[in-house]
Amino acid sequence: MTTHPTPLQGSYFDGRDGQRHAVDVDLAHGRLRVRGDRIERDEPLDALTITPRLARTLRTIAFPDGARLQLPDAACLAIWFPHRNRLEALVDRLERYYQAVALAIVVCLGALVAGYLWGIPWLADRIATHLPAGVEVALGDQVLALLDRTDLDDTALEPERQAELGERFAALAAGLPDGADYRVVFRGAPSIGPNAFALPGGSIVVTDELVELFADDRQLDAVLAHELGHQVGRHALRQALRGSFIAIAAAFFAGDVSSASAVVVAVPTVLLQNRYSRQFEDEADRFAYAHLAGHALSPSWLGAALRQLDADLPDDASLAWMSSHPATAARIAAAKAAGADFVAQHPQYAGDEPDLVLAEEETGGGPCCACCDDAGCEADRENGDADSGACTGCSGDAAAGDDGDDACERGAAADAVDAGADCEADPDACAEPTDAEAGADGTPR
Amino acid sequence: MQDPPIVSAGAWPEPPALPEPIAAVPVAVPPPVPHRFAFDGSAGEYFRIWIVNLALSLVTLGVYSAWAKVRTQRYFYGNTRLDGVPFEYLARPLPILAGRIVAVALFVGYVLAGQLSLWLQIGLALLITLLTPWLLVRGAAFRARYSSWRGLRFRFVPDYGQAYVRYLWLGIPLVLTLGLLYPYVKARQKAFLVEHHRYGGQAFGFEATAGHFYPPYLIAWAVMTVWVFVGTALLTAAAVALHRPGAEPPTALVFGWMAAFYGGYFAIWAFLAAAIGNLVYNHTTIGPHRFESRLQGSRLLWIYAGNTVAVLASAGLLIPWARIRLARYRAERLAVLAAGSLAAFGAEHGEDVDATAAEIDSLFDIDVGL
Repeated sequence: MTTHPTPLQGSYFDGRDGQRHAVDVDLAHGRLRVRGDRIERDEPLDALTITPRLARTLRTIAFPDGARLQLPDAACLAIWFPHRNRLEALVDRLERYYQAVALAIVVCLGALVAGYLWGIPWLADRIATHLPAGVEVALGDQVLALLDRTDLDDTALEPERQAELGERFAALAAGLPDGADYRVVFRGAPSIGPNAFALPGGSIVVTDELVELFADDRQLDAVLAHELGHQVGRHALRQALRGSFIAIAAAFFAGDVSSASAVVVAVPTVLLQNRYSRQFEDEADRFAYAHLAGHALSPSWLGAALRQLDADLPDDASLAWMSSHPATAARIAAAKAAGADFVAQHPQYAGDEPDLVLAEEETGGGPCCACCDDAGCEADRENGDADSGACTGCSGDAAAGDDGDDACERGAAADAVDAGADCEADPDACAEPTDAEAGADGTPR
Repeated sequence: MQDPPIVSAGAWPEPPALPEPIAAVPVAVPPPVPHRFAFDGSAGEYFRIWIVNLALSLVTLGVYSAWAKVRTQRYFYGNTRLDGVPFEYLARPLPILAGRIVAVALFVGYVLAGQLSLWLQIGLALLITLLTPWLLVRGAAFRARYSSWRGLRFRFVPDYGQAYVRYLWLGIPLVLTLGLLYPYVKARQKAFLVEHHRYGGQAFGFEATAGHFYPPYLIAWAVMTVWVFVGTALLTAAAVALHRPGAEPPTALVFGWMAAFYGGYFAIWAFLAAAIGNLVYNHTTIGPHRFESRLQGSRLLWIYAGNTVAVLASAGLLIPWARIRLARYRAERLAVLAAGSLAAFGAEHGEDVDATAAEIDSLFDIDVGL
């Protein structure tokens, strides 16, 4: 080891009082030499520790007797104290290379997105799979007990009506893997309104308001099928677990923000949790389509139920990205499309469809021009005869008094007038299929 | 220098006036000399430290976070200077890692318990509540022991009896009086924290009483109440004026309502934080020296609001900038009014010298806090 040509300047504190001694530091004969301001020390390097390098902060050399020597970082310190603090020396190098910093940004943002998209769902679902069924049932009972104390009253439905609806539910649930565990409970809920929700462990709560809202029990069947979708997928438990993990992650995040954390974190937390919820809703909707079709019911009954709920409690489609449920209009459209598929595959059930269209065309002014884009009609064309005649054929059915499928009707209307522009020019042409349908409507009831 | 409204309305004495730097007044006691705290950290520098820390913590599934904490603390301590001498953070990562594992286990357990059983969660909450004063004392002792300035360590004298009285027992009358005792309880807690700290053979002293704490809290409560009443009245009027029969209230109104109340709460909170921060420091002494804090509520509000917007808009990437900005402001508004030399501190005698006691103590060295 060599003596450093120019000594380093530092501040020496002896650890017994707060006096600062300005000193010169260099290396002589393998020992650290500290000189100046009544200080004269020589110490073997092995006896000393040094704090790792960190940005522009001072380094501190600690003496075994508690004295401390603070000095600015210098290249020779790395030579005097090699192989110290290897981990932090490596980290310090990473901090100084912009490539490493850029990589760190990518890693952080990537981990954030991946954790949210896959990590949390994966972990939560693993836990949900391994959780004993008893725990899930206990959890559901607890939630129901809590709701019973706060928002829910005893049902006002007559026992016969309850039994009737219970049988419908049993028929729907029969044949599902855990069908025997699923049960429906009725509750009055003036503060919640028409609603149904799936609790962990198999209970499905249906409010009296919902039962009374629907004119047709098949609408209730559709809603129950949707809730069964939640049960089969164990969505309630999975959503609760995912929500918990988001909350935990947000708490760590908040610890770092350390300013006004509650407000800063609460909003994104709810938004992030709601995206998971929307995925589950979509999944339950798709389950409901298939399940209804399996029970000889058109998926468009779910659309009819949603339409009626929407009329009761309208939602704002522009806020769909922050909602816990997908936009109702989109769900209705999807249900109608699924209904059209169903009818195309099972023409024998064509008459048993809800009168969705009728309400729509009476309230909405002239939607017939948009009808050519209707997915349901497109699907019909694909599933039916290859040529465009399929729609007209469909329309022919309607004329026979059996078909309530609005999509085809309107497609037919557009076909009949050749083009949308003509349709606009001649509103009377649009009115025609509406009338035809009004006539067809009465039959399913 | 303009005091924030909440502070200026307070009833406590004015902080001592700043003396002339070189005041050759021939009196027995020399006038105190203000030594300002200075913070030299830069957002760019800290960003690099922060992002590398975060990436390594993620890659190591959180294990590195203890090392990250030490590095972060060292950066903030090392860039905070008083009388030209930076502070030092001396803690090692392993005790911090142990503390974090305990804290994370408790927290995850608590959250999961909430999903499984209400009683389990209540039991855990009770346990955590019972442990809180103990953890507070341990945490304060940990931080004090590993904070040093001029080669001398701070110390926190653990007094569990008083901790349980002030952080747990006082909660009962606090609830019984519907929170009216809150400023009193807060005053007792702050006094506990300040008075049990030691540095350089000197004890910290706390001169503020509950009487000093009541004015800022009462003003904050009054302003909040008025804000809620006036805000509700105005928004109700707007809702009635805009109301069309059968329509839902406009979304903008609902969000406006939330924004107004959160905003009001946020602003009042910032002013209160400034007032309480000043109150605590301006009544803290160590030996012959005093502190002087001149935080402004309006400035603090501006910083907090700016930080919140920046952090949200940048998906968190501006967190380092926000933290540096806050640390700089807090440091530059704080000063020590030194009566005599700041170098005239001596080493602590007592527990710190006893190696065995320090060893046993370090078995329970946990710095809890997520």
